[in-house]
Amino acid sequence: MPRVLVIVPAYNEAGSLPQVLGELTTLYPQYDVVVINDASRDSTAEVVRSTGVRLVTLPCNLGIGGAMQTGFSLARDEGYDIAVQVDGDGQHPASQVDVLVEIICRTGCDIAIGSRFITGEGYQSTALRRLGIRVFSATLSAFTHTRITDPTSGFRALSRRAIHLLAREYAEDYPEVEAIVVAHRAGLCIREVPVQMSARSAGISSIRALHSIGYIFKVSLSIVMCSIRQRTVLP
Amino acid sequence: MHAHGHLLVFCTTLIIFVGVLTLVRSRRIGERFALLWMALAVLLLLASSIGYPYLFSIAQFVGVPYPPSALFFFAIVGQTLLILELFVWISKLNDRTRVLTQQLALLREKFERELV
Repeated sequence: MPRVLVIVPAYNEAGSLPQVLGELTTLYPQYDVVVINDASRDSTAEVVRSTGVRLVTLPCNLGIGGAMQTGFSLARDEGYDIAVQVDGDGQHPASQVDVLVEIICRTGCDIAIGSRFITGEGYQSTALRRLGIRVFSATLSAFTHTRITDPTSGFRALSRRAIHLLAREYAEDYPEVEAIVVAHRAGLCIREVPVQMSARSAGISSIRALHSIGYIFKVSLSIVMCSIRQRTVLP
Repeated sequence: MHAHGHLLVFCTTLIIFVGVLTLVRSRRIGERFALLWMALAVLLLLASSIGYPYLFSIAQFVGVPYPPSALFFFAIVGQTLLILELFVWISKLNDRTRVLTQQLALLREKFERELV
């Protein structure tokens, strides 16, 4: 059986973490769970400690990219076979973690992305964000010739190869989309799996509506930049 | 340019030169940039003293009819290169800080776990 590490990045998620962690630990006693607390200013650390889940607290805020990369480094150093990202805000369905893990095991693919747009069920995000996701999807397919319906989805599982790659190179600000480009260029196999997400149960998203337009522009630009950058090659 | 104008330029570059020298001596400019800034200060000093009469012929040589424009052009190119160098350095520092922050967090977690 593969050793699986579930990485939960959290920034000020004291409200939603108990439920997320509760579901993960009861559904998957065989998986290890670690919360990467990105220097939260609320009681995230205390909440996690009270649940007994492993907790890594960053001394200063690095953003989602830096937090996830901490988890990948941990997974790499401790020799995990699969790492799964489950956001601390409760949007990602804990019940479908094993679907992602199974895809990696069964198909030998390196990255399994949970997509909310394949079946169109569950939380579909706001119209503006869906537009943004369409733009990224189109930019991605133009630059990498991959067809990804939900490139911003952080609900994903990584193989050992992908863990090693992304522990070394992971973007700071908009890592999900860029990681697809990095992985594709390193020759990794990426596959999407239909999942149903829900709206966040508590807390505030790091992407505010007013900044969405700027976000769309920046991410699209980062796809282009990432495609012309020197590729990272796995040893 | 009039004689007192020339004097003003020379004095300014002299002040910059002394300033850079002081900062390098007191090690407030790191080794990486000390050499660059010393070279720049010396270059400015030379250009504003003995090189001054040649500025006009240099401008003519590169085909700029208005000498001050040539001077501005070189100055702006120089500044841009310097800023570029700084951005490269900041990016490098940023990467290092990120790795250090992550490693520190992981080591602290390991340490605390072994304490329990």
